[in-house]
Amino acid sequence: MRLETRKLLDRSFTGSGILAITFMAAALIVLLAPMFIRGAGAIFFTATVEHRRLMLERFNRGNRPQLEAEIEAARKAREPVYRMLAAFERRLAAGDATERRQYEKQLRELKKAVQTLLGPIPGAPRPVLMRDQYGQTRWERAQVKLERALYREEWDYSDPTRSGIMHLKPRASDFTGTQLEPVFPYLEQNLNRMLLPRQTVYWQFLTDTSFDSHFFGGIWPEILGTFYLTVGAMLFALPLGLIAAIYLTEYARESRFIEILRTCISTLAGVPSIVFGLFGLAFFINTLHVSSSKSVLVGAMTLALMILPTVIRAAEEAIRAVPATYKEAALSLGAGRWHAVRTIILPAALPGILTGTVISMGRAAGETAPIIFTAAVSVGKPLALWQVFTQPTPALSWNIYNLATEHEAVDEIRHVQYGLVLILVSLVLILNLAAIFMRARISKRLRG
Amino acid sequence: MPSLRLSHWTLRRQRLAAALGNGFLLAVTSLSMLAVFFIFFFIARDALPFFRLEGVREFFTSTHWYPSAGEAEFGVLAMFVGSGLVTLGATLVAVPLGIAAAVCLSDVIPFSLRQFVKPVIEMLAAIPSVAYGFFALVVFAPLLQQQGGTLLAVAAWIIGLPLATLAIVVFSDVATDRLQDRSRTAARVILMVLFGGGALAGLAWIGQALSALKIASGTNALNVSIILGIMALPTVVSVSEDALQAVGRELREGSYALGATRAETLVKTVLPAAAGGIMAAVILGVMRAIGETMVVWMASGNAARIPSPWYNMLDPVRTLTATIAGDMGEADHVTGSARYHVLFAMALCLLAFSFVCNFISEGIVRRARKKAGG
Repeated sequence: MRLETRKLLDRSFTGSGILAITFMAAALIVLLAPMFIRGAGAIFFTATVEHRRLMLERFNRGNRPQLEAEIEAARKAREPVYRMLAAFERRLAAGDATERRQYEKQLRELKKAVQTLLGPIPGAPRPVLMRDQYGQTRWERAQVKLERALYREEWDYSDPTRSGIMHLKPRASDFTGTQLEPVFPYLEQNLNRMLLPRQTVYWQFLTDTSFDSHFFGGIWPEILGTFYLTVGAMLFALPLGLIAAIYLTEYARESRFIEILRTCISTLAGVPSIVFGLFGLAFFINTLHVSSSKSVLVGAMTLALMILPTVIRAAEEAIRAVPATYKEAALSLGAGRWHAVRTIILPAALPGILTGTVISMGRAAGETAPIIFTAAVSVGKPLALWQVFTQPTPALSWNIYNLATEHEAVDEIRHVQYGLVLILVSLVLILNLAAIFMRARISKRLRG
Repeated sequence: MPSLRLSHWTLRRQRLAAALGNGFLLAVTSLSMLAVFFIFFFIARDALPFFRLEGVREFFTSTHWYPSAGEAEFGVLAMFVGSGLVTLGATLVAVPLGIAAAVCLSDVIPFSLRQFVKPVIEMLAAIPSVAYGFFALVVFAPLLQQQGGTLLAVAAWIIGLPLATLAIVVFSDVATDRLQDRSRTAARVILMVLFGGGALAGLAWIGQALSALKIASGTNALNVSIILGIMALPTVVSVSEDALQAVGRELREGSYALGATRAETLVKTVLPAAAGGIMAAVILGVMRAIGETMVVWMASGNAARIPSPWYNMLDPVRTLTATIAGDMGEADHVTGSARYHVLFAMALCLLAFSFVCNFISEGIVRRARKKAGG
C-alpha cells in the first residue's frame, strides 16, 4: 500500500472516532433542546385572562380589583358573541322544524367550541368538570381552539380505494345568511380582547398541586413523591452499600466465597429494572406484606436494591483511592482496624463516596420501571411524611409516562408533560454535574 | 497477678468484639448475595406455576398472545422476536459508534479535550430512560412518520458516501499495487472513476428508494432501536475505553517503532489485545438494551406480532419488558392466574439471559485481567 493511502486511512480512522464523539454530543443536544425549550413553556408562557381568573378563584393570587376589572373587560368583549348565539337560538326556537333540524347539530358544535375557547356560556348551568369551568388558559392553546371554532373537519370518502381525506370547512359557510354569520369574523378579530393574553411567569407550577387530572395546576405531588422515593432509597442503600464496601476493601480476604459475592453484586447490577419491580411486588408486597398494596416505602426499598451495586462499587473505589500510607500510619499508631476505618479511611474517602451517592440518587430519581408496581399512582395528593409507609405517590418519572400515553387528552397537556420532563432531567443532570465537579476537585487534591 | 488477668480478659473481649463486628459486616455484605438469590427464587416461584398451567411449548413457539380472551392464549414468541430485533438494532447503532468513540477518547484526543467529552457521555448515561422514551414518542416518532423517508435517505448518504470513498481509494490502491509506476497512476484513476460512478449511482438508487418509503407509524422498531442505541452508547464507550487503557503503552510504542501509523497500531495491535474487554462492553450494552422498559413501552408500538419479514424495522413490535410493564396492571387483579404467572415467566427469561450475559462478561474480564497480570 502506498504511504499516502496509509495516511488517508489513518486520518479517516481518526475522523470516524471524532465523528462518533460529535454524534454523541449532537445527540445530547438534540435530546435536551426540546426538553428544555418546551419544558420552560410550562412556567414561562403567554397566559390568558382565564389563567388569571383561575389563579384568583382557586388560590386568591393577584391583585383582586385589577383582575376583576380585567375579567369584566373580557366579559364585555365576549358579549356580542353570546348575544348573537342567543339571538340565533331564539329565532330557531320560533322558526319551523326543518330549519331547526338543519342547524341543530352545527349550532351545538359551535357552542361547544366557543365554550372550550372562552369558558362556560353565561346563563348555562355550572359544569361539573373543572376543565369546562374555564376557557383556554394558554394563548397558544387558545389559538388552536379558535381554529376549531372557525373550521370543522370534514372527511371525504368519495374514493373507496383510499382512506378518507380530511378537509377543513369554515363553519361560517354552515350559517351563511343567518344572524350568526358575523360571529366568526368577530371571534377571529377580537380574540385578543376576549382573552387578554399577557406574558406570565407561573413559577407556582412547581409548588401547586394538580387539578382535574393535570389539566390545571402544578406538579408538587410528583416532585415530593420523587423526593421521598429517592431519599428513602438512599436511606436503605447508603448504609448497606457503605458497610459492604468497607468489608470488601478492608476485611475480606480473597476467597471463593468473596468471589461468588462479587459475582452476585455484578449480577444484581445487571438485573433488568422491570424485574426489580416484579420482585418488589412478589416479595415486599405479596410475601412480606410491608404494606397492604403499593407504598412509598416499598418503592424505596425496591429502588434501594437496584442502586445497591452502584453504591457498593462507588464506595469501594473511593476507599481504594485513599492512599495506603494513611491506613498504615493509623495501624502503626496502635489503632484497631475498625478504629482506623472509622477515623482515618472513611473521612478521607468521604468526598468520593458522596460523589457515588449523588450519582446513584440521580439514577433512583429517574427510574420508572421498579416503581410501577410498587409505589406509583397517576394522581394523588402530596403526602405527609407519616403517610409514606402506607400510601402510594405520584412521581415525576411515572407521571411523564402516564401523562404522555395514558391520559385522556394527551395533546391538551403537552406543556405539563414537558414541564415534568424538564424538572426530572434538570434534577438528574444537576446531581450528575455536582458529582463531576466534586470528582474534579478530589482528583486535583489527590494530585496536588 | 490481677492486672495480667484483666488484660487477658480485655484481650478476649476485644477479640470477641472484633469477631462479632466482622460477622456483622459479613452479614450485611452478604445481603446483596441474598438479594440475588431471593430475586431468582421469587421470580421463579411465580413463574413456574405458569408452565404447570399452560405448558412450555405454547410459550416459546406460538405467536398468539390473547391473555384476556375466554380461551386465553399465551404465545410469547412475538415478544422474544421483538426484544431480539430492537436489541439487534440498538447494537448496530451502539457498537460501531461506541468503539470508535472509545478509541478516539483513549488514543486520539488530548487530555484537555477529554475533560469536556467525558461529561457528555456521563450526561447521556444519566438522562432517565423515561425521558428518552418521552423524546422517542413525542419528538422522534412524529418526525419519522412525516419525514421518515427523507431522513433515512439523508442518513444513508451521510454514512454511505465517506465509506464508499474510502473503500474505493483503498481498493484501487491495493489492486494496482503490482503495476509499473507510470501505468499505476493511470490505472488507479480509471478504477476510481469507474467505481466512484458506480457507488454514486448505487447511493442515489438507495436514497431514492428510501425517500419513497412511507412509514405508517413512527412508533416502530427503528425508532426504539436508535434511541436504545444512544442509551447503550455510554456503557459501551466507557467499558471499552477502560479496556483500551488497560492495554498499556509498551504494545503501542512497539508498534509505532515498527513504523505503523496510529490507525494500524490501533487496529492490528491495541484492539486485538483489548478484544476481551470490548466484548464485555458489547455484552453490557446488549444487556442495557434488552432490559430497558420505558423506551420500548412508550415508543415501540406494542404490537404483539412478528414483523414481516422478521427484520422489517419499520413495523411496530412488542418486547418482553414492555409486556410485563403493560400487562401487570390488569393481571394484578387476578393473582394466581396464568395471566399473572406468564409475566413472571417472561421476567425469568430476562433474568436468565442477563445472568448468562453477566457471567460471560465477568469471565472475559477475569481472563483478560489474568493475562495482563501474568
